[in-house]
Amino acid sequence: MTTAVTFHDQIIAIVPKLRVQALALTRNRAAAEDLVQDAVCNALSAQDSFIPGTNFAALMHRILRNRFISNLRKRRDTTDIEDVPSSSFATDAPHEDRLALKELGRAMTRLPVDQREALVMVVVHGMSYEALAEATGCAVGTAKSRVFRARRQLEAWLLGERQERQSRPASRLERERSIPARQERLHPSS
Amino acid sequence: MKYVAMSQRKDKPVPVKPPQEAKTQAAFDLWLRRGLHKLYDEVVSEPIPEELLRIIEEDRQK
Repeated sequence: MTTAVTFHDQIIAIVPKLRVQALALTRNRAAAEDLVQDAVCNALSAQDSFIPGTNFAALMHRILRNRFISNLRKRRDTTDIEDVPSSSFATDAPHEDRLALKELGRAMTRLPVDQREALVMVVVHGMSYEALAEATGCAVGTAKSRVFRARRQLEAWLLGERQERQSRPASRLERERSIPARQERLHPSS
Repeated sequence: MKYVAMSQRKDKPVPVKPPQEAKTQAAFDLWLRRGLHKLYDEVVSEPIPEELLRIIEEDRQK
């Protein structure tokens, strides 16, 4: 059956990108792997409702994101592990570069989760703002704003040229609750 | 004060940011792009876990 083959092949092809998104959301390698697997299982179980020709990547990113939100609601006591790929720091890069990279990794974990996700999807995946908006269920303007604020916040933290005047770093609680809280306001559960 | 119609004004548009700040931002954005790729590209290139592949292939056989 052609549609089924296409569907499974598409899933396999998008797993690497889902993995990056999952790591951006969870900041933890093991949790990211679990999240990807959960999202894939969700997609497989809902494949009959998949309409060929629709934006498959956006659909999969949205499934993963929803799963993350759902997991976060169930498990508020997530450990706060900064789990940027360790071997990234064990490169041939000069010492200063490695330190700067480590600082970047740390700063990334301090960003609000929706900004971190948006920045990674645009910069690492090369995703357009329109595709990001579709994948994360927000307006294009919001997607642009998230990426812009993430860039400028990282610049402020890493270059230290500006005091954190506009956007103080979100507390851990704020970071982890930002998406579910917004979802709750939009779609209150009974 | 002499009135000048908008269409006749010769004023240059005021730059949104000072050139030096714009240059700094551009340089930072370039550095950030390279840095994020170093941090995340490794994750992209990792092989798909066997367990996940098995789940997908089993579902394909249904």
